[in-house]
Amino acid sequence: MTSTVVEPAAPARRGGAGGASPRPKRSKLHRVSPLILVFVFVPFVVEAVWVFWPALQGFWLALTKWDGLSAPTFVGLGNFREMLSDPIFGTALKNTAIWLVLFGGLSVLGGFGMALLLQRERRGVGIYRAALFTPVVFSLVVTALIWRVFYQPDGLVDSILRTIGLGELIRPWLADPDTALYAVIVPALWRQIGYVMVLYLAGLKAVDPALYEAARVDGANAWQRTLYVTIPQLKGVNSVVLSVIVIDSLRSFDIVWSMTKGGPYHSSELLSTYMYSTAFQSTQLGYASALAVVIFLLALAVILGYLIRAFREEA
Amino acid sequence: MTGLAADRRTFLKGLGVLGAAALVPGCATSTSSPGSGGSAATGELSLQSNLSAEQAKGAMEKLVAAYNKTGGAQVELNTVASEIYRTQLPTYLTSANPPDVYTWYAGSVADSYAKKDLLLDVSSVWEGMGNYSKAMQTLSTSSAGQKIFVPTSYYWWGMFYRKSNFAKWGVTPPKTWEEFLAVCKTIQSKGVPPIGIGLGDTPWVASAWFDYLNIRINGAPFHRDLLAGRGRFDDPKVKAVFTKWQEVLPYFDPKGKSFPFQEATSALLGGKTGMFLIGTFFADSAPKDALDDIDFFQFPIIDPAVPVAEEAPTDGYFASKKVKDPEGVKKFMAWLATAEAQEIYVQSSSGTAIPANPDGKSADTPLVQKGKAMIESAAELTQFFNRDSSDALQPTADAALTKFLDKPDQIDDILKTWQAAAEKVFKA
Repeated sequence: MTSTVVEPAAPARRGGAGGASPRPKRSKLHRVSPLILVFVFVPFVVEAVWVFWPALQGFWLALTKWDGLSAPTFVGLGNFREMLSDPIFGTALKNTAIWLVLFGGLSVLGGFGMALLLQRERRGVGIYRAALFTPVVFSLVVTALIWRVFYQPDGLVDSILRTIGLGELIRPWLADPDTALYAVIVPALWRQIGYVMVLYLAGLKAVDPALYEAARVDGANAWQRTLYVTIPQLKGVNSVVLSVIVIDSLRSFDIVWSMTKGGPYHSSELLSTYMYSTAFQSTQLGYASALAVVIFLLALAVILGYLIRAFREEA
Repeated sequence: MTGLAADRRTFLKGLGVLGAAALVPGCATSTSSPGSGGSAATGELSLQSNLSAEQAKGAMEKLVAAYNKTGGAQVELNTVASEIYRTQLPTYLTSANPPDVYTWYAGSVADSYAKKDLLLDVSSVWEGMGNYSKAMQTLSTSSAGQKIFVPTSYYWWGMFYRKSNFAKWGVTPPKTWEEFLAVCKTIQSKGVPPIGIGLGDTPWVASAWFDYLNIRINGAPFHRDLLAGRGRFDDPKVKAVFTKWQEVLPYFDPKGKSFPFQEATSALLGGKTGMFLIGTFFADSAPKDALDDIDFFQFPIIDPAVPVAEEAPTDGYFASKKVKDPEGVKKFMAWLATAEAQEIYVQSSSGTAIPANPDGKSADTPLVQKGKAMIESAAELTQFFNRDSSDALQPTADAALTKFLDKPDQIDDILKTWQAAAEKVFKA
């Protein structure tokens, strides 16, 4: 049914746009088309029921004690006060900060570096781009499984270390509290670098070649061209990348959960995994909601801070 | 232009219809799936099952098909992946129109729902279950004194080993702690880590060691009280469990921290470890031919004065308080309690489960017979850490026990943290 309607409609619209004068279009602006209303309100209603309402409920639950069975009891800011004396919350917060810096920072550096390396069309560059982007296509759970095989006792990592004579460094990577978090960051980076690279490649494509031309005429070397032409031109992409990175770091869950579940003994716990295990393993849904609120506020703070500055500079 | 507008309107209408069509089944499933059972008029019961492993699921299907042939209410089986089931169970039970019957575990974990008044009193079903053991009765009774659970099968935990390897190393199954230490020493001298374990991904396996050491040293009543929040984890008696445990720590397979119990099973079968304290469910992930070479011994006796207790996790069914057709549900549960029904399940599942009905025939292998005899001779039965306490307490044990295995010198600190974490769970 839709196909019979759409097919004649599409060329008709194109014809109309090409031939019609701007006048009838402008008169149409005065009355809001029902189509626009539908496009605005249907998603709004859907969103309100499935996103806004549960989110508001989450804020309410953060102020309660709830086991999911009995009625929630209001405890005010008790959950937040409890966090202050909760050692696991402290570890999770610290790990989330480490994660944000290492995962976020290294994926920006790595992604940008790879994009610079692979931006010029050379023979075979497509293969390298595809290779770097492939991990993005995998589900993170699959990535986690692959890396767990690498890390397993006598697995790839251990045998490589042994061949290059660093056998004494071998340890239970995911079971040692000193290495678990970093052992999980590596596969997360492996994936994220490809993703950030694609964002930067798109940004680099949009930079006007005439700018490089002019810089070269002015005698700028490759390093200066990167510093004074490429990076300032990528401002728009940077804000996208930053938002993506911050959101991705704070919601990083699947890879940690499928590799260590936050263990051993909470040493690789992130706020997100701690939230999940408090909610669904310990069934302390009120406290878990409070943790979710903290994650939300952190994300908001980091992103708002950057966006406000970016907008101010533009204005 | 007008033609286009008309087209657009029809297009919109089409979209609307499509959208509605997409939404309607969505609504229908969302309202009916939690309560797909309720329709008493058609004589249908819904059975919510967490037995999602292939073999167990098939066994459940056979079981339900067998009941549906008896001419009672038609039972509709709804299998949910066990991890999801565990988190969804409170939601099922508190929903306005809950499913009728649920697979679950006996003991404290069932009682916690009875305390919230969510479970059907099945005392009348128990009137026909006089032959069940005293332990089974206690396990199925709520703290308010009502029967709320119908047990159907149980399994056991033991120290499993390969007969051929023990023969090769020249050791025999130990009975006491001293003999056990001697066996560990001998196996280690052959260059094999004596005790296998699998804590990566399955850290709860360590709780078996805690449970067994505690019931051997302090006895089952102390253990149960502790897990019910009537004791303290920083009690010196609990510390004694860990000091005993330290004696065997050097014999644990260091690689066991990295892999799950399934791989620890492969390590045992491959002769890379000597013994493995595990429940019979490990057999699900073991090749059948290797199982013929498998035997087990009882967890060594530490203090002969303590009445011998064994871990015998018991599975079965309870029903929602809000069932529409209590008589139909009770009839179904009474049937589940029969030896005949339990044999259908046990024969079609992996075969290591033992029917809860004493008249039910278990698999006829020497291993199962030996396990059954061990459980029947035990003075006390415990379930397992989470079943004797709650799923909420289990993560606190996982953290404490894996940390102990890593840093055994920090016992006092670990026990203090454990007590604090447990208090939080009990207060929640």
